[in-house]
Amino acid sequence: MPPSPGSAHRRWSASARIILIHLLALMVLALVCAASIAYGSRPAPLGEVWEALHGSGEEHLQAVVDARIPRTVLGSVVGAALALSGVLIQALTRNPLAEPGLLGITMGASASMVTVVAVAGPVSGVAAAWTAVPGAVLAVLVVQLIGARARAGSVVPLILAGAVVSAVLGAYVQAMILLRPDTFDSYRHWVVGSLAGARPETLGDLAPMLLLGALLAVLLVSGLNTLALGEGVAVSLGVRVGWLRLGTVTAVTLLAAAATAAIGPVAFVGLAVPHLVRGIVGSDVRLQATVSVPVGAALLVASDVVARVILRPEELMVGMLTAFIGAPMLLLAVRRGKVRL
Amino acid sequence: MRIGTAVALSVDRRAATVTVLIWVLVLALVVFTLGTGPQGSWPAAVISHLRGVEGDAAAGFVLERLRGPRVIVAVGVGVALGLAGALFQTVTRNPLGSPDVIGLGAGAGAGVALATLWWPGQVPAMMGAVLGAGAAALLVHQATGRGFSSPARVIVTGIAVSAMAHAITQYVVAVGLRDSAHQLAAYLVGSLGTRTFQDAGLIGASLLVLAPLVLLLSHRLTLMDLGDDLADSLGVGAVRVRTAAIILAVLLAAVAVAVAGPIAFVALTAPHIARRLTRRPGANLAASATLGALIVVSADLLVQQLSVLDGLPVGIVTAGLGGVYLGYLLIHEWRKASA
Repeated sequence: MPPSPGSAHRRWSASARIILIHLLALMVLALVCAASIAYGSRPAPLGEVWEALHGSGEEHLQAVVDARIPRTVLGSVVGAALALSGVLIQALTRNPLAEPGLLGITMGASASMVTVVAVAGPVSGVAAAWTAVPGAVLAVLVVQLIGARARAGSVVPLILAGAVVSAVLGAYVQAMILLRPDTFDSYRHWVVGSLAGARPETLGDLAPMLLLGALLAVLLVSGLNTLALGEGVAVSLGVRVGWLRLGTVTAVTLLAAAATAAIGPVAFVGLAVPHLVRGIVGSDVRLQATVSVPVGAALLVASDVVARVILRPEELMVGMLTAFIGAPMLLLAVRRGKVRL
Repeated sequence: MRIGTAVALSVDRRAATVTVLIWVLVLALVVFTLGTGPQGSWPAAVISHLRGVEGDAAAGFVLERLRGPRVIVAVGVGVALGLAGALFQTVTRNPLGSPDVIGLGAGAGAGVALATLWWPGQVPAMMGAVLGAGAAALLVHQATGRGFSSPARVIVTGIAVSAMAHAITQYVVAVGLRDSAHQLAAYLVGSLGTRTFQDAGLIGASLLVLAPLVLLLSHRLTLMDLGDDLADSLGVGAVRVRTAAIILAVLLAAVAVAVAGPIAFVALTAPHIARRLTRRPGANLAASATLGALIVVSADLLVQQLSVLDGLPVGIVTAGLGGVYLGYLLIHEWRKASA
């Protein structure tokens, strides 16, 4: 590109582009949310949906639409949390394949919830959300313990360790559900994430964890941006790498555990969204974080809409669809040699 | 050992001893499995029954209907998985390149699930399993971009392919077969419950066909250990041998899945333990096969006898124990590599 005199102009156009990208992402999210309220396993004409939203529609439709609103909101929040945690962990490990699902964090949270329910019976409220945390932390520690022994610079050990931990914990969760079918009949979503039966209260219960995770993310994201230049550079620029690492892992664990506590394990959203967003905004971690929040929300809600519509009147679990959207991204990333393995 | 020019087996004394010892152990466990439990008939009764002496009817029922087929299927599935793992790990030169990691088991499971959903009773489970496993292998092969030659790529793409295959199977469980969801949930993780002599016959017949083919290949596989170029110069044809071995491994894994569902980590761990016991690199086909049988039979015995695990599918035990072993192995190997 030839040097141009108008560098101020260029800076302005760059920030205009950033604003445009954010606006676009938000618009997509709004459209997807509208679709999520309008479409479902039971088709409804848009006009009647609109009336129902204003409280003047047919009673039956009113109930349907009312049930879809918390589902949509919860879906957006969970998608955003998973995408943000994916951006954070990828930036920290400088590993484009790092993802809370692939690293075993979500399955750890799931196993934790199942254990508590099996021992103490159904839990509810804020306590339910926090029961997901110990398992998530344990999974992070074990994966680190196994993966960290390997030679540096390869992403395979972490992924493989995550796959092993997920497999073992997944078997445990399956076992619990098979052993106590009566206790776990309504909790099948702990094997594959699902938004069916989302309740508005869940959001309130999860809010403290999500806010804490998001706050940490805001505090850490510029440090992560510096870390992208290399650990040596980051240290010389005054980044305290030890604290950065601890804080980021905490934020990732909180966000992923909250998401899992809400709807069960959902893999690949944390992988696919950062990939997508990186392709649009480039390597700036701050931009990746802000853009991936609406994109992640839109992806999960859109998957849920498809899951409801694709097999009317049956419903699929959203976790199955995200596997079919996210896993091919992984295949493409490997195929194109974008990942240093 | 040499039979004509086609088959030449280099018999290592240690490997042979290990293999024989494990077979003895497997047989002992089989007799024990048949003979214990609330409705057990003690080993003496089992042996006399097997020799054709008429015992009491109850013991006969337990042997012929409940535990007999089940334990035969366990042995057969273990042998098939052990062989599949040894073949795959040898030709990919990747100690982790086993059917589990590559998604063969998950793919075969998805194939069976789809076959029962779309064409119930028309397409045999076996066909679905072979198609599913083949599709998974092909997908991994294509997605790595370099065939199976890059271990790291194989592992990562395999994880993605298994995730998709699991999603398909979950879909079938959730949508198509709601009535039998509980049974299918057990099948998802690999189960030996309610096996019949038909299943035993299927796995037995398949092994009768496939094992000799593996034997025919084994000499060439040993040469492949020297590297593709050297193998080519010795007239082995590395590419052809690799393709043949992968096809055989896909078939073996598919048979095992068709009969018992995807039983995790047996194909991965059996060759590892075999290598350690025989202290020999390379395929260790016989030892891997017997170890596979030993793992499945003992896991099944645990499921039947431990009250905590009562009624659980056997795959849960192998996934738990195998996963822990694999984790230990990874730490061990990587510590060695980084030292």
